[in-house]
Amino acid sequence: MKPFDPRLLRAVPAARKPVAVLAATGVAGGAATIATAFALSAVVVAVVEGTDLVAPLAWLLGLFAVRAVLAAATERVAAWAGVSVSSALRAALLGRWGAVDADARLEPGAAVSLATAGTAAVEPYAARFLPTLVTAAVVPVLAIGTLLVVDWPSALVVVLTLPLLPVFAALIGKSTADSTERRWAALASLSGHFLDVVRGLPTLVTYGRARRQATTIREVSDRHRHATMETLRIAFLSSAALELLATISVAIVAVTVGLRLSHGSMTLGAGLVAILLAPEAYWPVRRVGAEYHVAADGAVALDVILAQLEPTPAAPRSSSTPAPNAAFDAELTGRTTRSRPNAAFGGVALAGGRVGEVRVVGVTYAYAGSPAAVLRDLDLAAGPGLTVVTGPSGVGKSTLLDLLAGLRSPGSGTVETPASHYVTQRPFLATGSVRSALTIGHPATDDQLWEALRAVEVDGVVAALPGGLSADLGDDGFGLSAGQRQRLALARAWLSPETLLLLDEPTAHLDPEGAEHVAAVVAELAERRVVVAVTHRDELLAHADHHLVLAAADASPVEVIPGAPSLPGSPRPAGEEGDR
Amino acid sequence: MSTFPTPDPGVEVIAHPTSVPASPRTASARGRVWWPSAGTVRGGLLGGIATASGMALTATSGWLIVRASEQPVILTLLTAIVAVRAFGMARPVFRYWERLTSHDAALAMLAERRTSAYEALVPLTPARLGRRRRSDVLTGVVDDLTDVVDAQVRVAVPVISTAVAGGLAIVLTMLLSLPVGLVMLGLGVAVCLISTLAAYLESRSLPELLAARAEVTRVSELMASQSGELRAVGGWATALGWLDEAHAPLDRVTRRISAGRATAASLFLVAVGAAVAATAVIAQDLAVSTPVKALLVLTPVAVSEAVTPLVDAMRALARARGSEHRIDALLDLAPAVADEAAGADDEAAVADAPAPGDDPGHADDPTAGTRPGHTAYASSDVRARALTASWTGDRTDLAPTDLDVPAGSRVAVTGPNGSGKSTLLAVLARHLDPSGGTYLLGGTDVLHRPLEETRGHIAVVDDETHVFATTLRNNLTLARPDADDAEVGRALRAAGLTDLLEGLPDGLDTTLGSSGRGLSGGERARLGIARAHVSGRPVVLLDEPVAHLDPPTARAVVEDLTRLGSAPGTTGVAGTNAPAQTIIMVTHRDDGADLFDQVLEVRRPSGTMSATTAGGTDLHDSTDHTHDRTNGADRRRR
Repeated sequence: MKPFDPRLLRAVPAARKPVAVLAATGVAGGAATIATAFALSAVVVAVVEGTDLVAPLAWLLGLFAVRAVLAAATERVAAWAGVSVSSALRAALLGRWGAVDADARLEPGAAVSLATAGTAAVEPYAARFLPTLVTAAVVPVLAIGTLLVVDWPSALVVVLTLPLLPVFAALIGKSTADSTERRWAALASLSGHFLDVVRGLPTLVTYGRARRQATTIREVSDRHRHATMETLRIAFLSSAALELLATISVAIVAVTVGLRLSHGSMTLGAGLVAILLAPEAYWPVRRVGAEYHVAADGAVALDVILAQLEPTPAAPRSSSTPAPNAAFDAELTGRTTRSRPNAAFGGVALAGGRVGEVRVVGVTYAYAGSPAAVLRDLDLAAGPGLTVVTGPSGVGKSTLLDLLAGLRSPGSGTVETPASHYVTQRPFLATGSVRSALTIGHPATDDQLWEALRAVEVDGVVAALPGGLSADLGDDGFGLSAGQRQRLALARAWLSPETLLLLDEPTAHLDPEGAEHVAAVVAELAERRVVVAVTHRDELLAHADHHLVLAAADASPVEVIPGAPSLPGSPRPAGEEGDR
Repeated sequence: MSTFPTPDPGVEVIAHPTSVPASPRTASARGRVWWPSAGTVRGGLLGGIATASGMALTATSGWLIVRASEQPVILTLLTAIVAVRAFGMARPVFRYWERLTSHDAALAMLAERRTSAYEALVPLTPARLGRRRRSDVLTGVVDDLTDVVDAQVRVAVPVISTAVAGGLAIVLTMLLSLPVGLVMLGLGVAVCLISTLAAYLESRSLPELLAARAEVTRVSELMASQSGELRAVGGWATALGWLDEAHAPLDRVTRRISAGRATAASLFLVAVGAAVAATAVIAQDLAVSTPVKALLVLTPVAVSEAVTPLVDAMRALARARGSEHRIDALLDLAPAVADEAAGADDEAAVADAPAPGDDPGHADDPTAGTRPGHTAYASSDVRARALTASWTGDRTDLAPTDLDVPAGSRVAVTGPNGSGKSTLLAVLARHLDPSGGTYLLGGTDVLHRPLEETRGHIAVVDDETHVFATTLRNNLTLARPDADDAEVGRALRAAGLTDLLEGLPDGLDTTLGSSGRGLSGGERARLGIARAHVSGRPVVLLDEPVAHLDPPTARAVVEDLTRLGSAPGTTGVAGTNAPAQTIIMVTHRDDGADLFDQVLEVRRPSGTMSATTAGGTDLHDSTDHTHDRTNGADRRRR
């Protein structure tokens, strides 16, 4: 770990100001500390020699007041810096993940951990460790510089002994590195045991094995205690050794000063300043070591976050598909009328002649880290109307929609699509009102919302909720069935102004009647827009203008068959499909 | 990258509403957060000596310098030189000793607190841990316990140390000069008042800080895990707005809470400055030698070094108090099930299978595997009449429900979120006492049987299968320690984990969990099912085991699940001749419900439920709730 990573300031401009203010208060605090040594020595000299106390005391009180203000400022600035830096990092990190391909992101568990605990761990790093670091860089230098002027022999002693501290620390660290590492590994597994057992408590209770674990917890906790103490013995010993070293160094200064004083070759004032300043050169360096453990997690997290924020070497991105947001922004700025959803499709989209076509040419795609391609040499052209994609599980149907939505970029080949609205398998419904769930992407009036809800026949359910459109859905649409949530997501798609509509299993949670109805709604939408729907059920096929059957990538690639029903390669027998 | 230790628990342990009656646990049994243990007191005294040595070092150094400047015979300085050296050496030595003592005491206390908290958690699990994200609640308990014990090292020790050193300083200065001693006493009183003020300012805004942090965590978690879904619907810009909205209060509260520390840090300096000035004025005219005057003037300066740790201590105190409060709020809850019949049947104690050694599933106790329940209940028919239940006592979470599940059959329970599906399952699992109606297992009213006996009949699989950090074998045999490898293998195959098993480098001996191989969501769900299968318990209850899986995977898991019990004689209990397991699964997905013998649709609490048999044709996403037999109450009340 580097004590301070300048990449932070480059990658997160919002961190510059807090870090600069931290440095400034650190320098000011250091200067005030040095000045206090002079004032204090003047006061002691005045007391001892019985001279006038007023002037030195005024100085001393003034300096204490200044230091009091600086101490308060340092605490405030540290807290502000900590929260600013960690929030800025979190915003930068999430902002970046919103712009990159699905494959360029961390896997979900690690991403959540980094965006929450990881960025939070940076807070103590910025709030506590950085100020310490500033102090350690400033105060010893100021102290030695002042000593050089006041009493150079003392400065010499400090300059000669101060480097011993880091050298000593490194030596101790090196000689104990092996055993420490071994112990930490053992510690990690011992300390993880309690968390593991507690998190698994519901399982242990189910199988009647919970109570006896209490004994085990005590045993393991005791082993943890002994292992920890073994480790701490060494860790504390090294910090005690450093303190001893610093104390001895200060003692050397004190002894030389004392000898020179007793020979009369030095004034009392200078001697007092020397022994008051000497410790100031040592303790900030030791503080860095002490605060290191507070900062270690944050520093590691910072390293990972900054690596995520670094612009990755541009992957060969042959897609011309803009990211969804970019597309949306372009739409908004280009034609303000499109911010009114209902005017957007039908009226503007078609009449304006802006219907984009989906063109997929020779696309091959493999998940990051997987050698085998999911999609190989895929061609697809879809214009207005309903294109239904079927195929066995795992063949890459959803991946194809991800590609069309711009969430993934193809390994090779091109994907050209207009701006899209994509209803995923588990559509996102935020905690909050029905209204906010429906308008997450685009604003809409309540009248428009009701119209959309009526279209997908979920208006009765919403009307019956307490508060109607303002009703709180709770987590994941609490209080609604899976099918009702599916319909809400479809209503949102109905409202969206984008030309291209991508639907992943839109009838998955519906009973046959509901599925028939939803299929009819989708067909209606397809009259005015480009709709690509993935399904493993039949209802949609009856309405399809095009039918794409995806086969495994190593088999013959794909067939694009106009005129949907009764097709070879369709997953169901033809007879069943003609039902409607 | 592994997870980072959270500096502040992101997840608060939010216990159930206060209407849940508290159990009569005595507060004195647990002690208060700031109350030091004997070891901590020892550590505090040692720390006091270290702190006092530091103060003495400064003071005697001043004496030495001034005495030296009077150019005495060197020999007269020797005593002081020895004293300075002794104090200089004593400080690090005693500090080292203090840290070892106090950390050892804290770790001993941690072992103690962990064990007792765990024991208190057992009867509350799972019903009192909240109904979703239980593992987050449990993680919160672990973090909070650490915070509380941390207070011993970070609060009690510095406070005792400062008190001891300060007391010594006051007494010694009083012996030299009463007025200076009184100034020191005043300084001590000021330090106490400032610390109290700091602790108050810290704790005042702490709940707000935790709430702000929790909101930031919620939004970032949502954005990190659902970025694809958000971008798909054009909601990413909106979500970035949420993040800004969540950051604003966090920023505000963090700044406000720093006022406590800022005030304390600056007032300490003001107090010390005033004390130095007062001492200087008094000392100038004192009838003592000049070196002693220097010593007296420097003593308050040395105090500032001793009180600095109190700023952090007050922060740790505020945090630990909050943690203690959350732990108490959770652990003081009354269990959701009463075990009135406990002790009536000594056999029940045997049914509570002995726990393993180090690993949760370590099977070294031959009695552990006694397959429970076969003698206690005549059969495994599940039958309920007008069963109702409530989590909090002040509202109904499960409307009167009738249920008939013959042994060996498979039932899907569906209904909208919040309709009481999971509540029904909790009652059937004996995690929650019914508030009315009857629940018969094999014709016997379960309320008249010991809790463990009934539970020993039932395996429960929830939506977040925990994978213990141990071998695959232990992860399964914890359900029945005497299961052999053949049975474990059969269960894995039956649950559709053949591919997993064959792909593992060490087979059943492969370590899973946090320190080993990770499992996909589908594999975890299947592992939970395999565990239930290994247990051989006659009834398996599943609470949305596929809730987090995509539809094709979910259906595949459910297909394998329903096949478990479907072919009598060939499967059944882990390949034995025991009858097929009864399967009752709660799901809000329709996929796969057609594979069940019976589908029950649970209605909102003030409605009732309808049960239909065969084929799941009545299973639908109903937007029409009017055919319920309602009692006229607001059906949508939650």
